[in-house]
Amino acid sequence: MADKSHPINIEVGDGAAIPVKKDKGLVNAWSISFFGAIGCIIYLCLVDPDMYWEVLKFLPDGILVTFQVTIASIFLSLIIGLFTGLGRISDNKIINTVASTYVEIVRGIPLLVQLFYIYYALGRFEFLQISELPSAIIAMGICYGAYMGEVFRAGIASIDKGQGEAARSLGFNKTQTMFMVILPQSWKTILPPVGNEFIALLKDSSLVSILAVADILRRGREFASVTFSYFEAYTMVALVYLVITLILSKAVSKMEERLNYYEGY
Amino acid sequence: MLKKSIMIALILFMCVPSAFSQTNITVASDATWPPMEYVNKDKTITGFAPELLAAMEKVSDIKFDIRNTAWDGIFAGLAAGKYDMIASSVSITDVRKKVMTFSDPYFEVKQGVIAKKGANIKSKADLAGKKAGAQIGTTGFLVTRKIKGVTMKSYDEIGLAVEDLYNGRIDVVVCDDAVAADYALTNEQYSKDLSLAFLLKSDTPEYLGFAFKKGASQDKLKLVNDALKKVKESGEYDRIFNKWF
Repeated sequence: MADKSHPINIEVGDGAAIPVKKDKGLVNAWSISFFGAIGCIIYLCLVDPDMYWEVLKFLPDGILVTFQVTIASIFLSLIIGLFTGLGRISDNKIINTVASTYVEIVRGIPLLVQLFYIYYALGRFEFLQISELPSAIIAMGICYGAYMGEVFRAGIASIDKGQGEAARSLGFNKTQTMFMVILPQSWKTILPPVGNEFIALLKDSSLVSILAVADILRRGREFASVTFSYFEAYTMVALVYLVITLILSKAVSKMEERLNYYEGY
Repeated sequence: MLKKSIMIALILFMCVPSAFSQTNITVASDATWPPMEYVNKDKTITGFAPELLAAMEKVSDIKFDIRNTAWDGIFAGLAAGKYDMIASSVSITDVRKKVMTFSDPYFEVKQGVIAKKGANIKSKADLAGKKAGAQIGTTGFLVTRKIKGVTMKSYDEIGLAVEDLYNGRIDVVVCDDAVAADYALTNEQYSKDLSLAFLLKSDTPEYLGFAFKKGASQDKLKLVNDALKKVKESGEYDRIFNKWF
């Protein structure tokens, strides 16, 4: 139980559900959906290769783009998030206000609108004319940076106050205390929600197809628009996303397990 | 008692359409394609095609109900029976004919290439190594992606592609010539910077038609074809054509 003065308040986004301990065993929600999806893909490709196999062959470069966008924006959002989180707990009024305002603004604007804004609206200014992939990454990074900031803030707040006080009394300065004592310990609280945000970000990356970025969804739509096989194309797109997010959610839950290793789980 | 009222209701139901002998046709139109069909400042759908439909209403008993529908998925909606007809500058192609039925052609169209002024793009050969944009699933997209050496980008709306060209992120935009001319020659802002570079030559002429669901009742198709014929014969078609082009 968390101390009342230090509430652990971790925001959980709409990432894939992280399996809990009781889900262990061969037949559980994860394995049913994962092997079900893989089985569906193989079955459909064998039954109707003219359609489904063609869609699947059309997607790989889109999968690559989706991963590029996701991984680059998660790194960007981690950096932004760390500073936002530190800013949010800072005693300096100005830094605190700037960080809080950033979070308020970004969380108040839908991601789709942010994407449009950064690409098309700011694209009117010559020095801001960045091409579609960097635009998408920057927009996603800024948006998720605000969410990550909250995760970092909560993670830091979850560390007992005594830890900081002890470090300070041993002669650490404020920066050293934060980076050598507090942050390393808060990692354990921060990592699972970060993993969850990662999965949520991967799914939200389908929004960048609006900027004509050729990700999985855009490739699927292009295929459908030429062949008119909407059912086949979107079925494949959905299954591919499902397989990817399920692999990631498995990785996140494994990571969580390891982090909890010493607590006797 | 119940039976009687049902009978009366049925009779009434059968009488109403025959009394007015009016056929309602719901129409899907992606009104982002000026001057063919677009939403004007008063938020009403206007353009060449809506006016043509209005003229067809006058010479027949059809009542068109135009709904603004996003282009991506417009054909899926037709197949799902969400509306009877598409009037959205749909080119009649062999591939499309396999999945939908077309009315008689109502417009001849060529593919226009928009480029920046002074970009030195004058023919198909100049497109090699260039970045081209088009609206997803349009003829411009289908034709351009087959040209060798062109990097193709597909947009949800033609306006977004033109904006990207204007901002210098792509080299050309390919779309119907009437639309290309509207952006490159008529539009106040774009016309300063953009020009209609050339028309992509096609071996066979390309026509626009109203699309119907394959296998659906032919009555509405016949009504539309008859009305279109009347409008063309009366000279009303030429009047509308001259107004817009």
